[in-house]
Amino acid sequence: MTSLPAPKPRWPLRLARRAVSPALFDFWATRVNRLWTLEQPLARLVSRTTASRDAVTLVFRPNGHWAGMRPGQHVSFGVTIGGRRLVRSYSPTLMGDGTLAITVKAITGGVVSEYLAREARIGEIVSLDKAFGDMTVAAGGESLLLLAAGSGITPMRALLRDLAARGMPMEVDLYYWARQRDDLCFVDELQAFAAAHPRLRVHFLVTREGDAPAARVDTTSFDAVESLHRRRVLACGPGGFVTAARERFNGHVASFEAEAFSLPPMTPGDDEAGEVEVHLSRSGRTLKLPRNQSLLEGLEAQGVRPANGCRMGICNTCACERTSGTTRHILTGDRSSEPTTQVRLCISAPRTDLILDL
Amino acid sequence: MSRIRNRTLSAAEQDAFGVELDAIRARVTADIGPSDARYIRRVVAGVRWTGVAGRALLFLGAFVHTVLVPAWIIGTLLLGLSKILENMELGHNVIHGQYDWMNDPKLNGKTYEWDIAATSQAWRKTHNFQHHTYTNVRGMDDDIGYGLLRIFPEQRWRPFYLMQPIIAVVFALLFQWGVAIQDLRIGRWFAGKMKPGELRKAFRPVGRKMGKQLLKDYVVFPLLAGPFFLPVLLGNLVANGLRNVWTYVIIFCGHFTADAEVFPKEVLRNETRGHWYLRQLRGSSNISGGKVIDLLSGNLSHQIEHHFYPDLPANRYATIAVELKEICTRYGQHYNTGSLPRQFGQVVWRILRHALPSRPRKLRVLDEPATA
Repeated sequence: MTSLPAPKPRWPLRLARRAVSPALFDFWATRVNRLWTLEQPLARLVSRTTASRDAVTLVFRPNGHWAGMRPGQHVSFGVTIGGRRLVRSYSPTLMGDGTLAITVKAITGGVVSEYLAREARIGEIVSLDKAFGDMTVAAGGESLLLLAAGSGITPMRALLRDLAARGMPMEVDLYYWARQRDDLCFVDELQAFAAAHPRLRVHFLVTREGDAPAARVDTTSFDAVESLHRRRVLACGPGGFVTAARERFNGHVASFEAEAFSLPPMTPGDDEAGEVEVHLSRSGRTLKLPRNQSLLEGLEAQGVRPANGCRMGICNTCACERTSGTTRHILTGDRSSEPTTQVRLCISAPRTDLILDL
Repeated sequence: MSRIRNRTLSAAEQDAFGVELDAIRARVTADIGPSDARYIRRVVAGVRWTGVAGRALLFLGAFVHTVLVPAWIIGTLLLGLSKILENMELGHNVIHGQYDWMNDPKLNGKTYEWDIAATSQAWRKTHNFQHHTYTNVRGMDDDIGYGLLRIFPEQRWRPFYLMQPIIAVVFALLFQWGVAIQDLRIGRWFAGKMKPGELRKAFRPVGRKMGKQLLKDYVVFPLLAGPFFLPVLLGNLVANGLRNVWTYVIIFCGHFTADAEVFPKEVLRNETRGHWYLRQLRGSSNISGGKVIDLLSGNLSHQIEHHFYPDLPANRYATIAVELKEICTRYGQHYNTGSLPRQFGQVVWRILRHALPSRPRKLRVLDEPATA
């Protein structure tokens, strides 16, 4: 993963960092301006516009601590709802004036997406994390085939805006699927890019409307794409879409990269059977752990020794961040899949594949 | 002096007791939300505003000599209040991870650093882990007398303890420094049980934190007052002293009242969850008095509730207490609570009484196997 270094602060700020704690500084400074923090990257919602039938485009202005991003990368936004900061990744488009635009579709039951799409008001403050993701395009790269489904258009839009600004330095084909015509976002903007740049071709595919619905990615004809085998393919969409695209193209093109967004797959039946893969992001290890044991016991059995104390869920010594995945609370049986949340390893068992900040 | 008021519970009853207490935890956990977040944010604001008002008044008194005395007194009290709130309702509870669910990096239990001489890191070990897991178990919970005082007749008497009425007062005045060095276990060093350099290495982070605290309250803020540094310095000294004595009083009332019990290490062998709860109940005591005491003690006035649920937001303890009392009555267990003077009076009596040789009462109906 590539990420940009944080901007070097000016001397008054460097001095302040030595003298006071972020908690003290931020408490008073954010009373004057809610973006003035000592270290934490924050952003303020400055505008919202309708992007399609059920999607809105939100524009945020970040403060000086945010390191910026490359077009096509993702950024984790922290939105405080009911006192709890919930973190979700979006792939923003960096606008000319330094603001970040994200397009959010309200998903039924999606706490954050519903909140952002319907309730977030101008002036709302969110936290930002470092940009991440490798779906970026360097100068002089090979020709591209971009595949997007639903909200998967957002990193592609960021890439295309950037490529258009650079005069479209390579051949690019975009295939963009949606269920209905009014689910499509950025139609005018994408068509304008295609009109201005002959090397870009945009294909809209609507699968549930009209007399002749478009084919899905596994059966669509890509004959129109010239020298397909030399293309770099980038795909973004729900898990099923990305899997189908990977099967279709892997090995038949120069390279295939994809990012999927969707809820962790729910395995039916017994919560306590089988094994899952647990990735430890700090140490870079991936381990297979049984689902019928606490994470702490499972990790210890594999020779990993996380800090721990009471081993009964009291002392919080073993708490660590679960970046993604679902865990089961051993005492209550409750499941929890909120990303970027503290879990206590001694009373949590893995339920799905996990990423832990260990 | 301990009066026997606890019914001996069978293994099945202990389990049922544990199940009922776990059910309260599950219910409160599910209900945690915006009101708890608002509460802790109000506490943060309270700490900041009283702190800044206290320091401002101390400066005002230093520069405007006509109001020196009233400004100094109110300023010192406000600064002391700020430090008490930060230490107890904010620091102690946040470090327990009570507000981790908010996912706010400034209220995270693993990273919060509080405004006292002790490091949060050492506290996480001696308090969150050792004290809360092995509450009042001799040889495991160092909070029993802090290796300095003899509070229970079960502790072996030594002539050193004859001095404890004086030592206890000095310890109260310097409480934050005592907490700061607790994890260094200097007694082992005196006994020659430490490797050379071991103490120095362990002291390094503690020394850094101590230096920072001294620099802030006794160098930087007094110097800001220039030639009138003395009232500021004294104000800070007294505010820290007030906080020391107050936290000492509250913490000692939590586990050292007349009816509080200590336990031998054997109880830990195969201890069930039900028995763990029972041990927390019998080793802890509450302070009655309502909302003001609750806030100023960081809700350690609900020591029993805190020991049952150290990870639940402390502003919930008062509500939980109602149901808890009913459960304890039903299981025939004494729910130890009393006014601050009553509870602290019992603590003082223990400190005085057990300075002299004493023996545990022979007849101990309370003693029962950890598992039946």
